[in-house]
Amino acid sequence: MAYERSSARTAGGLSAWWLRRMIETPQPLLERMTLFWHGYFGISNARVGNPEVVCRRLHELRGHALGRFDRLLGATVKNPAVLLSLNARNSRKARPETDLARALLEDFTVGAGPWSEPDLQATARALTGWHVSQWEVGFNPDEHDGGPKTLLGETGNWGREDVVRILLKQPTTARHVVERVCQWFISESNPPPENVVAPLAASFAKDYDLGLLVETVLRSNLFFSALGERIKSPVDFAVGLVRAFGARVPTLRLAEDLTTLGQDLLEPPTVKGWGGGRHWINRFTLLGRARLAQELLADAGAYAGKLEPETVAAKHGQGSTDAAPVFLFRLLVQEGVAEETRSALLQRLTSASPPQERLRRLAALIATLPEFNLA
Amino acid sequence: MTRPSRRDFLRGTLCTSAFLGCGGASGLFERTARAASAQADGRGTALVVIQLSGGNDGLNTVVPYEDDAYHRSRPTLHLAADHVHKLEAGLGLHPDMPAFAGLYHEGRLSIVQGVGYPNSKRDHPVAMRDWQTALPLEAMTQTGWGGRVADFAHTGVTTDVPSVFVGPIPPPFGVRAEQTVVPAIRSIDQWLPLPGWPVAGESAPFPRAALAVPASNPLLEFLRESTHRACAARDRIQESRLARSADYPPYPLAQSLKSAAQLIRADLGIRFYLTELGGGEIGGFDSHAGQALNHGSLLRELSESVAAFAADLQHDRLFGSVLVMTFSEFGRSLSENGRRGTDHGAAAPVFLAGGGIKGGLVGKHPSLIDLDQDAPRFHTDFRRLYATVLDRWLGIDSRRILGESFAPLEGVIA
Repeated sequence: MAYERSSARTAGGLSAWWLRRMIETPQPLLERMTLFWHGYFGISNARVGNPEVVCRRLHELRGHALGRFDRLLGATVKNPAVLLSLNARNSRKARPETDLARALLEDFTVGAGPWSEPDLQATARALTGWHVSQWEVGFNPDEHDGGPKTLLGETGNWGREDVVRILLKQPTTARHVVERVCQWFISESNPPPENVVAPLAASFAKDYDLGLLVETVLRSNLFFSALGERIKSPVDFAVGLVRAFGARVPTLRLAEDLTTLGQDLLEPPTVKGWGGGRHWINRFTLLGRARLAQELLADAGAYAGKLEPETVAAKHGQGSTDAAPVFLFRLLVQEGVAEETRSALLQRLTSASPPQERLRRLAALIATLPEFNLA
Repeated sequence: MTRPSRRDFLRGTLCTSAFLGCGGASGLFERTARAASAQADGRGTALVVIQLSGGNDGLNTVVPYEDDAYHRSRPTLHLAADHVHKLEAGLGLHPDMPAFAGLYHEGRLSIVQGVGYPNSKRDHPVAMRDWQTALPLEAMTQTGWGGRVADFAHTGVTTDVPSVFVGPIPPPFGVRAEQTVVPAIRSIDQWLPLPGWPVAGESAPFPRAALAVPASNPLLEFLRESTHRACAARDRIQESRLARSADYPPYPLAQSLKSAAQLIRADLGIRFYLTELGGGEIGGFDSHAGQALNHGSLLRELSESVAAFAADLQHDRLFGSVLVMTFSEFGRSLSENGRRGTDHGAAAPVFLAGGGIKGGLVGKHPSLIDLDQDAPRFHTDFRRLYATVLDRWLGIDSRRILGESFAPLEGVIA
């Protein structure tokens, strides 16, 4: 914790600490879901203005990541990072701030459809009086609008907890979360079919159990049949490569390199998170990914040669000249590459020097394949 | 004049030579004679925006040396008539800007005077954000105007990016986009393979032969197509890097502009370049104390870097398709403070440099009698300037980027 506290003082330090955790964690699914929620709520450190407050929010997200969505949402509306990032530092009775209310409706719960302007105003009024001072959320009853409001058909003197309760009752809330989770794990290019979403949403709405939802999704036939319908984010790309070799790398530098590839961990571009999919890809980001793979695999330089293909192959009993390249393909792209591709790559390496150098370069070549960018 | 369409702009972002992947689109982007956005050879125009961080002192940059109020208000900082580089109308450039005086007299430099905006802020982050988003009234705006240029061109099909940031600091908000990853370039080497990789005797890190296998799904097909285009871009960058380059002074800004020139030569369809002088954050132009020396050296860096960039591009006859524009979040107070510095102000001049502009002074120097809290008052909204470069130079309908219509300035673009 001491390491973490000192790293969270700067944005770069906090990103580096989180990346280290993603690389070294024995529970990758938990980190993956923490990143999912971070994008889902789209909190910007620049808007918050304090990495330590963002760090606390990340802990909160991790705590609820596979827990219960109702509790996560309840914690979200009380979190200072959320209020600051969404312009609700001080929402007063006379002038209710609508940005948090809008995000709460449109992005966090019911989605774009089922509400209109009066619901937005009702939500914003219910959240008045809550403010952030000294990086903590406080309540000023004088600034709270305690009058009657109608939110999605229910009328009462609603406050913050009522809003959360009413939003969780809406059937589209469960659906919204289910769709985002399917997009995260299964496919960015095709929306999940109705016969998958409907039962998932119906059962998720009963208890908002995220662990159960994620488990069901990961065990579904769709999950297995839809391999290759997502494009790796920069984090997926780099953390996946480093984890494949069981290595530890300097993550302060990695955080900077990932920013260049379009994923500054603390700055999702909007409250909707990262666009993902094809949005990650352009000519420069692909060249940048290729370069990063080379730097990660080089035997010296910024990443200090921490990824050791030869050692890893040998550890798995695949260290021979013939076996090691085959092992690397299986490690990085499983069976996802055509035989022609494999032999074309292997041919290119025949002239290379010592075996460990050859394997480093082969690994980098595999990581630059279009196939490696698919998840 | 009809407004340029998205297609006009996209046409300009396509690079000229028909490398892999461009072929299919050529019918869609056939040439029309209308827009200025594409030059005769099909190369798109480029805008290079230089952010001067910290609030540049406009009055000691473009100096009203004949104005008594100027000399009276600045007992130690005022610049005397025989030290400035005289232009016309009683105005002269700071003594450290001989390079800009040269460009001015060649007709390749315009000075747009009195630029600002209504109710402008004097707080660095807020004012800077206003200039970067170009939407001063919308606090929640999550994109910069250069980022929106990239989003505007984003089709989800091609993988060209028309906007980039070049410089040694994290990318400023001006290029923040929602749909696209806008590249942040410290050196063009970052896009090239590590020296010697992948293997001796090979030039390509991407295995071209491997790309011939038919793809099983549309995303893989998209990645293969993108990889082809990345290979082509890499080869052009490599070529451009090895090509002749002019001498640049050793300033960081000059190095950034040198990288921009290399990318312009590589003809990759980049239309919007952002770079920075002052170090980002509350930058070096924020001269509350001991202004003179620091300000002079920044203006020298600015003018000599831009002049070297101009000379480099002129050599290849490319300066005609490039427009440089400076901006700063605010100007400074007329009065010198007690610490030989100046405080946050309002309006300031903007420099435009390029081979395709009219040159000279645009608009009047703001009055030094009728002031906005001790600072020159603006008469030209900066969004009119943005509209000018968007509509008349880049060929993008400025309403799509600025959210509303601003009248372009006349007498700027040739």
